[in-house]
Amino acid sequence: MVITGLGTVGAWGCGSGALARALAAGVPPAATAVDRSAGYHRRCGARRALLTPMAALAEWVPPAEARRMSPPSRLAVAAARMAIGAAGLAAADVAGLGTAVVTATVFGPSSFSDALLLQIVHEGPQAVSPYLFSESVANAPTAQIAIACGARGPNLTLCQGEAGALLAVARAAAAVMEGRAERALAGAVDEMPAMLHGLLDRFGTLAHRPCRAPGGESGRPFDRRRNGVVAADGATILVLETAAAAARRGAAPLAHVRAWGSAFDPSASTAGWGSGAPALGRSLRRAMERRGVAMGAIDRIASGASGSRGGDRLEAGLLRAAWGDAALPPVLAPKAVTGEYGGGFLAAALLAAAGAPYGPTAGFAEPDPRLGVVPHDGRRLPPPALLLASSVAAGGAAAWLLLAAGGAG
Amino acid sequence: MAAGMAAPARRQVVVSGIGAVSGFGWGVEPLWTGLRAGATAIRPFVRFDSSQHRTRLAAEVPAAPPAPGATPAGLATGRSRLSFADRFAVAAAAEALAGAGLGETLGGGEDERSAPAAGAAGVFFGSSTGGMWESENYLAGVWAGGRPPLRLLAAQQVNCPGDAVARRFGVTGPVSTISSACASGALAIGAALAAVRSGEVEVALTGGADSLCQLTYAGFNALRSVDEAPCRPFREGRSGLSLGEGAAVLVLEPLARVLARGAEPLAVLLGAGAACDAHHMTAPEPAGAGAAAALAAALADAGLEAAEIDFVNAHGTGTPLNDVAEWHALERVFGARARCLPVAATKAGVGHLLGSAGAIEAVVTVLSLQRGELHPVPFAAVPVDAACPVALVAGAPLPLAGARAAASISLAFGGSNAALVFARWGAAA
Amino acid sequence: MSSLESELQPPEPIQTASCEGIAEIAERVKRLIVENLHLDGLQPEMIDEEAPLFGEGLGLDSVDALELVVAVEKEFGIKIKSNEIGREVFSSVASLSRFIAGRV
Repeated sequence: MVITGLGTVGAWGCGSGALARALAAGVPPAATAVDRSAGYHRRCGARRALLTPMAALAEWVPPAEARRMSPPSRLAVAAARMAIGAAGLAAADVAGLGTAVVTATVFGPSSFSDALLLQIVHEGPQAVSPYLFSESVANAPTAQIAIACGARGPNLTLCQGEAGALLAVARAAAAVMEGRAERALAGAVDEMPAMLHGLLDRFGTLAHRPCRAPGGESGRPFDRRRNGVVAADGATILVLETAAAAARRGAAPLAHVRAWGSAFDPSASTAGWGSGAPALGRSLRRAMERRGVAMGAIDRIASGASGSRGGDRLEAGLLRAAWGDAALPPVLAPKAVTGEYGGGFLAAALLAAAGAPYGPTAGFAEPDPRLGVVPHDGRRLPPPALLLASSVAAGGAAAWLLLAAGGAG
Repeated sequence: MAAGMAAPARRQVVVSGIGAVSGFGWGVEPLWTGLRAGATAIRPFVRFDSSQHRTRLAAEVPAAPPAPGATPAGLATGRSRLSFADRFAVAAAAEALAGAGLGETLGGGEDERSAPAAGAAGVFFGSSTGGMWESENYLAGVWAGGRPPLRLLAAQQVNCPGDAVARRFGVTGPVSTISSACASGALAIGAALAAVRSGEVEVALTGGADSLCQLTYAGFNALRSVDEAPCRPFREGRSGLSLGEGAAVLVLEPLARVLARGAEPLAVLLGAGAACDAHHMTAPEPAGAGAAAALAAALADAGLEAAEIDFVNAHGTGTPLNDVAEWHALERVFGARARCLPVAATKAGVGHLLGSAGAIEAVVTVLSLQRGELHPVPFAAVPVDAACPVALVAGAPLPLAGARAAASISLAFGGSNAALVFARWGAAA
Repeated sequence: MSSLESELQPPEPIQTASCEGIAEIAERVKRLIVENLHLDGLQPEMIDEEAPLFGEGLGLDSVDALELVVAVEKEFGIKIKSNEIGREVFSSVASLSRFIAGRV
């Protein structure tokens, strides 16, 4: 199973080039000030988010087509078209029963469902916009990718918080392996409207700074003083196909999908973090062992650590438990650059697996002694042979994806 | 195939337990009793003020707990904050596990015959609404100038019901929720089937949960998709769907595991298939090609020919367009047989459960096979529409003692279609 | 009739609105189409009142029609029943305006 195309949009712009440069420099793209006037935010809460320049999508999703799409649908369709082009596939290759679409979203078209609720409360239920409703469902982006590409194979939308993106790739890979599709478009998408940003802030999810401090907040993966994530929007779509199919059409893989796994920590509270790191670590080992992969063969980790106090602690704990007494390989923390949500982590992990260099981990200044994990400091590393992407979701789910470099057999 | 990834072994997968919560009540028995009597649970409801909406009816789960956050007796919450959808899910899962003869801890027990080893149980769920109702209450309270408790928002996400089930029963294996509108439940069951077949899990809790909320009620009404009267799938004069709520859970296990503990399967899950219309966000592809492709894929996965299907549990929402598109899909797959192949239209009884519709209809399909009869539709006197002339059962339940295999299909908003194929346990191969 | 006068008058069973009334309604309908249906670059004066709204012409679909129904209900303070949302009433701006004139 190989990945032959990557399409990604986010605060870095359109395409993986700008993201790769940001990762190499260890500098996140500029964050945008969020409108806090509606009063959802905490008084001294988060002020910024990593937002995609939506005007840049027009090249991929012309206005006539975009007119009835929610923001996540536009992001997703743009990323899908980019991925298909990057994979060297023509539109005619993708149309038909042979193409599955599997995407993940954490919040779905939240701006549309929020607008609907505002209509219901302020204008009455009968003032609700049919167009907003039709595009407010979590599967709207997945459906719009299918419509845009004529993809008539299995069509699934996964919602499993921060673990969704890796689960979607695994589910898509399984569908192709089981012969249910010849190829799959898989990835993740999220939008980050002001109201959602405010509610996340109110929940204590987002990184924040003292009220009168200059500058913006940072997500500080694994850092001792981390206090939340930087929210992002965007979309990442990968093209997955069998190695044989890629070889037949002379497409060079970006990476091979070697293994995947997922598990759950039942000690987590709803939308919270539990204490089940040891059990999760054992689940990770079992998932690798099922595929004949020794932990010692994994020479790079792309961790989903994002600056969440509880999430990073759980992530560090499960990695330490999985590796036991052995030292961890270099741990990359791409969310320092991509932020949380929007699929940037998936794109960054794939870039890392394909050998893209990473600079120092942005926002990381001081190790947290309780975690025992220090993220990458920017020194030059050889391209990895086996990279493990790891993510944990609030509420208990965890997911992993093992990628081998493209040149590997 | 990459080195280290052997072709997954394919084991026979059976349904060992079922649970349900619906407009007919809490449990599988009230569901079956209501359906086989040709009754409908679609009636005026009290969850919110329907007089503000364009229609007045829904299949509301009766005797709902008094307030969000309150716990009905018998449902432990632990540290979680449960929404209605969460509570429906946990209740249905508890019933299914009890029916399967499994303990209530699935994360690694001493008795391997019941509780699987750590990591060997998973949850595969579908939902459209999650805790949207509770979130609506929170936001309405905020917009009215109040300070409602933030915890009302905690269970908003559509994966919360599946997570609540995993949490409640100590599941440590894979847990995921699909939110593909009306196909979510069937797609989730398909994912569970694959996981059990391959050995990724030994026990799968699969199904879905949804609760009534103003957003979906107002939204489907804005699309003018809701009938003012209880929905009448495939019948003349139908003008839309009726919304419902509830949950349904199936326990899936490898056959050998169930037999080893001396339990009897309820049915065999033979296959699952999925395909997409890629046509339009709200309107089904009129020729039903996507639905037919999903059904064909499920049959292929099951290793059955269309001729071996003895009845179908239809999607049957009651909208003018859906029922005709679905009819064309049945014609494509079953040919001339489509006119006389018995069809159950469960939504006429329990309404449209959205994300969990496929799950409750899977449970009804299992019941139909196990109990040897197909439930009738309400309003028997209303004739079937000549544009979609399915063989609906009217009046008394249709005896099906010889039925061996059945299909359940779901056609989703946004064009995702899913189909499941079940066989009666004990039917000759 | 101005919209305020139309609210004060009881609804009339037989359509007797004047040509000027229908013309004004048509202008408001065209503005609703532009504001609610997100048709890129479209201005009200570009809409041909007799041209088809669906299929050819503006190329609207079923969801656009329903969006327009909600907008018309809000703008004119009327209620449109589901069985009235037919191709005849909504076939053009002109036919829709005549329908609305009979209701206000």
